[in-house]
Amino acid sequence: MKRSIFDPRSKLIMAFAATVLLMIFNDWDFLTASLGILVILLLFLYLGRPWLNFLKSLGFAVLTFFIIAWLAFDLHTGIVSGLRLLNIGTVFFLFFQTTPPDMLSNGLLKMGLPYPFTFVLSASMQFIPVLAHRARNIRDAQRARGIPIEGGLGILLHLPALVGPLLIQAFKFADELAEAMEARGFGISGRSFHYEPRFRWVDWGAVAISLTALTIALSIQFL
Amino acid sequence: MILRFEGVSYSYFGADTPALDGVDLNVHPGESVLVAGTSGSGKSTFCRACIGLVPHFHQGRLTGKVLVDGLDTRQHPVCELFRHAGLVFQNPDAQLFNQTVESELVYGLESLGMGPSEIEKRLAWASKLAGLDSLMDRPPHTLSGGEKQRVALGAILTLRPRLLLLDEPFTHLDPEGTESLRRILRTMKSEGITLIIVEHRLHEIIQDVDRIIVLHQGKIVKEGSPHQALAGEISAYGLNLPPLLRLFRAFGLNKTVFNVEEAIEELKTQDLLEPFSVLLSEQMTNPSNGFTATSDPIVEAEDIWFNYEGRSVLCGVHLKLRKGECVALLGRNGAGKTTLIKHLNGLLKPHQGFLKILGRDTRRTPVSELSRYVGFVWQNPNDQLFRPTVREEVLTGPKTFRSYDPVWCDELFTRFGLRPLLDRSPFSLSEGQKKRVSFAAALAVKPDLFVLDEPTAGQDEFFRHELTGFITRLREEGRTILLVTHDLEFAAEHANRWLVLSEGQVIADGPADEVMADSVVMAQAGLHPTQRFQLTQAIRQLRKGKA
Repeated sequence: MKRSIFDPRSKLIMAFAATVLLMIFNDWDFLTASLGILVILLLFLYLGRPWLNFLKSLGFAVLTFFIIAWLAFDLHTGIVSGLRLLNIGTVFFLFFQTTPPDMLSNGLLKMGLPYPFTFVLSASMQFIPVLAHRARNIRDAQRARGIPIEGGLGILLHLPALVGPLLIQAFKFADELAEAMEARGFGISGRSFHYEPRFRWVDWGAVAISLTALTIALSIQFL
Repeated sequence: MILRFEGVSYSYFGADTPALDGVDLNVHPGESVLVAGTSGSGKSTFCRACIGLVPHFHQGRLTGKVLVDGLDTRQHPVCELFRHAGLVFQNPDAQLFNQTVESELVYGLESLGMGPSEIEKRLAWASKLAGLDSLMDRPPHTLSGGEKQRVALGAILTLRPRLLLLDEPFTHLDPEGTESLRRILRTMKSEGITLIIVEHRLHEIIQDVDRIIVLHQGKIVKEGSPHQALAGEISAYGLNLPPLLRLFRAFGLNKTVFNVEEAIEELKTQDLLEPFSVLLSEQMTNPSNGFTATSDPIVEAEDIWFNYEGRSVLCGVHLKLRKGECVALLGRNGAGKTTLIKHLNGLLKPHQGFLKILGRDTRRTPVSELSRYVGFVWQNPNDQLFRPTVREEVLTGPKTFRSYDPVWCDELFTRFGLRPLLDRSPFSLSEGQKKRVSFAAALAVKPDLFVLDEPTAGQDEFFRHELTGFITRLREEGRTILLVTHDLEFAAEHANRWLVLSEGQVIADGPADEVMADSVVMAQAGLHPTQRFQLTQAIRQLRKGKA
């Protein structure tokens, strides 16, 4: 995970501002230019290859979005819709690639959000690979019994063989996890931070620039 | 007194029988105690009662009193007790919930509201003790089982509890991981931490503990030093006794011995070296059950290579399994054992080389066809259960292959004691019963090769005994069995051939005693000879010396 110089809170504000900007402009040239800037940023942070991997899943959604908007409206709307989704997806890809979930949850905690909420946010990211690993084990166990769940239609046809054991294990896992968290003082008030998030001058600067850009854009568009 | 139980009984909500039944116990500071007993004897409930999860987290009825470091667990919540008593749970995955090892270790300290300098100090101490310095930036889910276990331990250690409990810590460890954990526990004991270890594999830790407590049906039925507690008739308690003790009992000797030195001393005293040596050599000759080196090959693997994430996991593996053989596949965690067995039914395909099952090339035959010939019983039976009843679960394979044989399936229901369970949901069964269902389900399609993945892990002596019966029966039927295990004692008892993997290569292939005699191979694979083998060697040396 790339560590960035910004506090997660300032990055969240920047991502939010970028999303609003991308939503209010309907010009494909603006969206293309912003995509170009994002790609330069990705390359600068050595995130080009992971982004290409990310595109494998996002690309399908972008294409679907483009086709639906094209068929429902026109080609211009299709291009703009596809580009917009690609841009917003890339903004949040950058955000999550440069923000460790525990830093994000600490930042949100500092913003006054309740601890259980911030914990669930970071823990859910932590357990995605764990549950994915379990799902692979279950799929292998069922395939080894002759159940053809190689992928695609096979998975759909034999969904209970995959989902049944996964759900049962997830419930059991959640129970065990709750016990372990309780035994390590989850939710006690007065929690401290090993690395305390600090809002420094770069963060104030970034927030100021983001909000100024947002205000100018909103003025141009709506006044 | 660091821990005191005064007439403690506890019943889970809706349970007919108590999980703990009138337990009285005192544990002194600095003591190390081993808690033994069968599955369902109340060991895990006992651990939960020690840290206040019982009664605060679990619904149920508690009578009596539990005092931890002088605090009554009924009057103090878990969040107060956790700085006095820490528990390392059975499943490491479900207790690692942070993004990195470092954040995992400091979680409890942050909960306590500690300042950064104190956190740093404790982090440095615990990470050094648990050997985690090189793993601090790694996400826990990317670690091996042994590493996860050490992180879970480190996360509790940072809290510096006066009482540390470990619930079956050795279950998923290979011999090296086991040795490393034993070293850590010895250091902790020397630092004055009170240890309570719950474990089935008694021989892994028995020589390091001061006291054993045997739980049976929620009651303490035996208590004392290891030699005292395991003396006398204890077979009813389903303990997985240390191998030499089991051997002595089988020979009719009542002396309680845990290591080779004690065994030799006793045999010398009773002048039984000679007859014992004859008995051992008879037992070492594993019956081959009609298998001959010319039997038909079931599996033929030629120069298999397999890479995963840029790393060679299998490097030129050659393998032949013949009809009627029982082969043990051994090696440390990460040696490539699981990758190799997943090649046996085409779940993984070799990147180079080929593997044939009964002449069918796995690269060109679908898994759904190969699984008719290769039956798997995975370590975790919960990975495969999804049908509403046990009967349907067992018949899933035969119905998929349209090969339902009612006589054979009836025979399996009887053999695995499933008749009274046929209409029950598999999810409502105990772990041992689920294992029996997965055995029956795998055998229902009459596979030629039967693969058992860590069959003894986390199982008590009763299940081991049942397992021995199942394997003997399968061997009598001429089926080929592949045992993947860290349990060398079990492998030596049942397999006529050992196949040792190290870093993706087969480094030894032969009878158990030949492999164990090769100290270079054993060291390379991170294995230790069985106690039975060590005793045989020691007797042989003595006899040579006399001659």
